[in-house]
Amino acid sequence: MTVTVSASGLSLRYGGTRALDEVSLRLSRGVTGLLGPNGAGKTTLLRVLATAVPADRGAFTVLGHDPATARGRQELRRELGYLPQTPGFHPDFTPFAFVDYVAILKELTDRAARHREVRRVLDEADLAEVRGTRIKKLSGGMRQRVALAAALVGDPGFLVLDEPTVGLDPEQRMRFREVIARAGEDRTVLLSTHQTEDVAMLCHRVLVMAGGRIRFDGTPAELTARAAGRVWSSTGRDPGAKAGWRTGAGGFRNVGDPPEGADLLEPTLEDGYLLTLDGDPAEVTA
Amino acid sequence: MTALVPETEPATAPAAARSASRTTLAAVGALARFEARRLLLRVPVLLALAGYAAWIGWRTLQPWDDYPVLQDADRATQGGPLLVGLAALLCANHAVLRSRRRDTERHLAVLVLPQGHRTAAHALSVVPLALLTAAGVAVQFTWEALKPGAVGRGSVAELLVGPLTVLLFGAIGVLLARLAPSAVAAPLLVVLFFLMFVGAAFPFSGQETGAAWFAPVVGGPGTHPLPSALLGRPAGWHALYLAGLALTAALLAVLVSGTRTRTVRAGLAAALTLTVLGGVVQTGGVPQVTTAARLRASLTPEKDQTCVRQGTTAYCAFPEWTPRIGDWARVVRRVQSLAGGPAHGQRLLVRQRVEARYGLYDDAALRPSTTPHQVTVGTSWGGNRVPEFSTAVAAVLVAGDEKTAGELCDGRMVTVMWLSLAWQSDPEAQLRHVRVDDSLTGPAVVLSRTEPLTMTAGQTKVVRALLHQPFYGVAARVKAHWSELTKPRISTARAAELLGVRAGAGADRCE
Amino acid sequence: MIPALAVPVWRTLPWRTLGAAGAAGLLTAGLSRLPGTEPDSRLALGLLRGAALAGALGLAFLLDDPARDGTTTVPTGRAARTALRVALVAPVAALWWAAALLLVPGAHRPPAGAVTLEAGTACALALAAATVAVRHSDDPRPGRPAATAVLVTALLAPLLLPSRWALFTGPEDPRWAAAHDRWAWLLAGAVTVGVASLGEPLGHPFRRTADQPT
Repeated sequence: MTVTVSASGLSLRYGGTRALDEVSLRLSRGVTGLLGPNGAGKTTLLRVLATAVPADRGAFTVLGHDPATARGRQELRRELGYLPQTPGFHPDFTPFAFVDYVAILKELTDRAARHREVRRVLDEADLAEVRGTRIKKLSGGMRQRVALAAALVGDPGFLVLDEPTVGLDPEQRMRFREVIARAGEDRTVLLSTHQTEDVAMLCHRVLVMAGGRIRFDGTPAELTARAAGRVWSSTGRDPGAKAGWRTGAGGFRNVGDPPEGADLLEPTLEDGYLLTLDGDPAEVTA
Repeated sequence: MTALVPETEPATAPAAARSASRTTLAAVGALARFEARRLLLRVPVLLALAGYAAWIGWRTLQPWDDYPVLQDADRATQGGPLLVGLAALLCANHAVLRSRRRDTERHLAVLVLPQGHRTAAHALSVVPLALLTAAGVAVQFTWEALKPGAVGRGSVAELLVGPLTVLLFGAIGVLLARLAPSAVAAPLLVVLFFLMFVGAAFPFSGQETGAAWFAPVVGGPGTHPLPSALLGRPAGWHALYLAGLALTAALLAVLVSGTRTRTVRAGLAAALTLTVLGGVVQTGGVPQVTTAARLRASLTPEKDQTCVRQGTTAYCAFPEWTPRIGDWARVVRRVQSLAGGPAHGQRLLVRQRVEARYGLYDDAALRPSTTPHQVTVGTSWGGNRVPEFSTAVAAVLVAGDEKTAGELCDGRMVTVMWLSLAWQSDPEAQLRHVRVDDSLTGPAVVLSRTEPLTMTAGQTKVVRALLHQPFYGVAARVKAHWSELTKPRISTARAAELLGVRAGAGADRCE
Repeated sequence: MIPALAVPVWRTLPWRTLGAAGAAGLLTAGLSRLPGTEPDSRLALGLLRGAALAGALGLAFLLDDPARDGTTTVPTGRAARTALRVALVAPVAALWWAAALLLVPGAHRPPAGAVTLEAGTACALALAAATVAVRHSDDPRPGRPAATAVLVTALLAPLLLPSRWALFTGPEDPRWAAAHDRWAWLLAGAVTVGVASLGEPLGHPFRRTADQPT
């Protein structure tokens, strides 16, 4: 697989906090999921890769462009689609006008071609019907899709999506997954999320971050496999479990180190994720 | 990560939530204390407080402020708090808009404490700042009152204006945030208020009565203080008006925020009544009694005054100024001791006079007295007022009365100025101070509470030469030649000759 | 690309804030025509300065952009976007200032060139403050801190400036000409700071070299 994005030793401090601590990664075409608890450094990593903020140390390239030079950053930005965690809007704009505005900023200067492209991404984000409605009248999910359309406009080779499915209902999330999966067919997509199902369903690779470091780098199956033999059911709360909860069926589902002869269950990606976060910080699979 | 709300933000929520179990009022109080702490630590407020403290120190340490008149010193406390008030307006407004700006409003809106109560807490959060201002006012006024030269008495209502202004401006900031939730509104209002109330662009500012009283601070201290009975300032009503207005603004803000309980409405009606009452009464103008008293004090001051005899001189002063008679007597004694001939033992009458008929800020000179051997003294003292009075005494000793003294245009001026200055510690500096243009050469007008005297260039030269000569020699010559020196139409050249000075005096020509 | 951007950027400008500031400025200048106000050239100068400050406060919000998080990473750089905003608002501001000048009665109007220099400097300082705020924070709305800084400076400067560096003099003051030399320097300084803050830092090349990827 060709490496499209490669980073090494990215570090960034905010005040006294180490938001990024020597992060190195290599991404290739397809959707890569980025999991991690709040404060893990996911947004910071995405902002650094999207050239919104420079790193204190380290370097990275995207599609061969090095953002350490003004020219390289310019080239990188031409290839970039970015959906920030809290996308802001000009409330009086319509989705069409807003995406058109972003398209101009992305140097799509030919008016007719640009309008065609804007209509295409609005269709892709399923916004064709509200194209002319002011953004302030749209629901949260629709606004999120406007932001996605703005990220997709101009057919970027590298797509950075920061928690795009937050606040969406299940159906909207399905639609989102479709769009993202389609985008990942021929692009590099880095998707930060709290939804382990998103990762399980969309991603060919997953990164887990905690404390500003990458704690896991592998396929979703590998992450799930980390929990193999470490999920079991019991009738009561098991004090030895790292996490345990009563399921709808009445029994307890436990994650951790099972006692002898426990009734083992099939692990999910989430179990693997929880156990990764719980594990030794030095234990990194790459 | 970057989506983290600033750490101080959610604290309002737990603070409110914790106290929700107690009564709502307790919750409002707790939130008000929380907001007050934040308000007091905002940079503009800290800067304003630092500036205010510096202003108090700078003002009070001025040498011309060694002899304060307390009925003016109370008004002098009102200017500084305006700056604190503007900072309060800006920061209280920002504090109310904070939840909107950080988009926590959606969250806060569903908490136990409704928006109206939060608004009330914001309005209350200005109170500690107002109390701090009150402490500043108290320090400033007490400092003045404790000065050994202080006379007169202050008014509590005048002293309240500063803290009430802070409260009012803070409440306006809160109200503005509820009426126009825009970040630019408060800075703009601050500019407007600054121009109107600090920069005197308020229409009617400078007037003493009428609509001028709608401004928070009306007129600073005048140039010439008046007895407190003549002030005629509706200070009490004005304080009531300010308090009512602050309360109205705060309650209106609460009402606009959606808390429309009967208590709030009744409170608003009461506050509005107070404001209208204070507002209307304060613009009523100077009461008849005060006008009559001003007329009497200006034309027939003897009816109000207390007289004290010290040595050969009688001192008549308005009762509030009698502690200052000793200072005057010291000057009169020193000047008279230098005079010769009959003037040395002349019985003088020093009368304090005011011109109150044209209001508090009239700066006109008093009409010179035609009564022989009567010297006029004003109500201010300290700084230039001392050599000014010394000159007046010398002029009456030489010329016989103030009217004649004002018309002096000959060599007698040399004697007058020498008598006036020779006894003082740095006569040349004092000469500079009593001359309107602060010069030491050329012709100049000499300060006086009545009509000013004039010195020609020649007289200036002779006087300076005299001041450079040994004091006792000149003093002996002044006494020896007194009758000729005080003869009308003696030329400056002749006076110089008699006093043993060689200075090209030139002809006496007064403009 | 710039002409294509002009219309959407024009629409993204914070017109409501600018309008409020402009209206407050005109109101301030118009105070001199209110009944009860003694016409006086000193006052007129003060009011015009107030109007200029109001306008400058509005301009401090010019770079507020709610969509900033998403538009930071586009190829059209911050310098171009900021310059376009300033260019779009400049003619409006000029018209507004002309109106403010005309609102002051002619007999009391201070020398137009000199006060225009003061107003221009105030606006440039406000814009410089906004650019600096944009450069040093991720806040999509850096206008408020910028405006607060401008306001506090404007209110404290006349009180704190030593007489030798006086800026706020009257036309009859012998320091008037020298003060306006200082205004011109201040303008140059504001423009320099503003332009210097336009760039987007690439990071820290010195530390970066130590950690070149291998």
